[in-house]
Amino acid sequence: MFETIKQFVFSFISTIGFSIIFNIPKGLIVKSGIVGGIGWLVFYISSQFFSSSIISTFFASLTVGILGELCARYFKKPATVFIIPGIIPLVPGAGLYYTMLALLEEDFYAAATKGTETIFIAAAISAGLIISTTLSKSIRRANTK
Amino acid sequence: MNNNINFDRNQAKRLLLLAILAGRIMLKNGAETYRVEDTIERMIKSRKGIKFAHAFVTPTGIFASLEYEDEVFTYLVRIKSRRIDLNKINLVNEFSREFVSTNMSIDEGFDKLKSIYRAETYSLMLNSISGGLSCGFLSFMFGGSTMDFLASLIIGFIVVLSVNKIARYKLAFFINNFLGAAIATLLSIVSYTVGIADNMNTVIIASIMPLVPGVAITNAMRDTISGDFVSGLSRGMEAIFSALSIAFGVGFILNIYLWRIR
Repeated sequence: MFETIKQFVFSFISTIGFSIIFNIPKGLIVKSGIVGGIGWLVFYISSQFFSSSIISTFFASLTVGILGELCARYFKKPATVFIIPGIIPLVPGAGLYYTMLALLEEDFYAAATKGTETIFIAAAISAGLIISTTLSKSIRRANTK
Repeated sequence: MNNNINFDRNQAKRLLLLAILAGRIMLKNGAETYRVEDTIERMIKSRKGIKFAHAFVTPTGIFASLEYEDEVFTYLVRIKSRRIDLNKINLVNEFSREFVSTNMSIDEGFDKLKSIYRAETYSLMLNSISGGLSCGFLSFMFGGSTMDFLASLIIGFIVVLSVNKIARYKLAFFINNFLGAAIATLLSIVSYTVGIADNMNTVIIASIMPLVPGVAITNAMRDTISGDFVSGLSRGMEAIFSALSIAFGVGFILNIYLWRIR
């Protein structure tokens, strides 16, 4: 439990850092930090149930996408303001690095494994975003009818 | 519907220019394609007498045209430099909402957009400090120790600072990312060799995170879903190439290091 809270606080602070790098309006910094923190929390908890980090990344990016769309509706701001900083901790920087490391060590089997995993994690992020955006669009369309 | 008095041919032209300026600010600062198209079309259609308004936006240019009293005006704007400033997207978004729902004159609109264009960003110092903080806490999230945290904190600060400094020379984004990743790797290896960091891999991964193409991935997906395949593809290419340039930057330094210790 303590570890979970620690993970939330860490990801909250690092999302806030990214939101300052991307120049988010002052009033929204904490909100986007909370979105990013919850996204990482979903990743952290679901990675204890699934052996593959691809599925956890998918759930995390789906969460970030849905929360971002909800915040966008509620605060009347563009959804990307909440989604972009929240998605950064999920981007497979580690996979990128280990693929390069394996290539340099001429361990091509590991490079292929890690490289494929990296690509699939990127695809999982995309899939999560696709589903959340499509949902929000179709709900909006149904409401305006 | 809004009814502007004295709306003539010249005004229609200026309205098109105003809408394109709004779209340009949004696109330059990293907005999605459909949002830019939507903003331009809404702003043009909000005034009376406009029969037809269309915008075609790609990440590198805007085309927009409107029809006013049997005449068609078309403008084309080319977008060259791009960066990320989500505050400006938000400000233009609010401005366009206000412009559509009130009877704001076009001159007033230009004044407001110009002040948005000059709106301040967070200072370079604050940017770098927050970059350092995010890198530090990311290293905790990736399982680093307290020493790794300290090393990533300092390296992240230096990486964000130097990438911002390098960006002033307006090099290709490929070189920018390459140099940033190279600096991050070099400093991580140095701090590991000196004995500050416990785990070299964690520190390198945490300090290249400010460079990863999160914005490009998000926007590429959002563009593709809304049917803007041209923009989606080109932003996807941007994501792939920035990931590759980071990998090359890391690999370049790491290769020298691995060859030294062999």
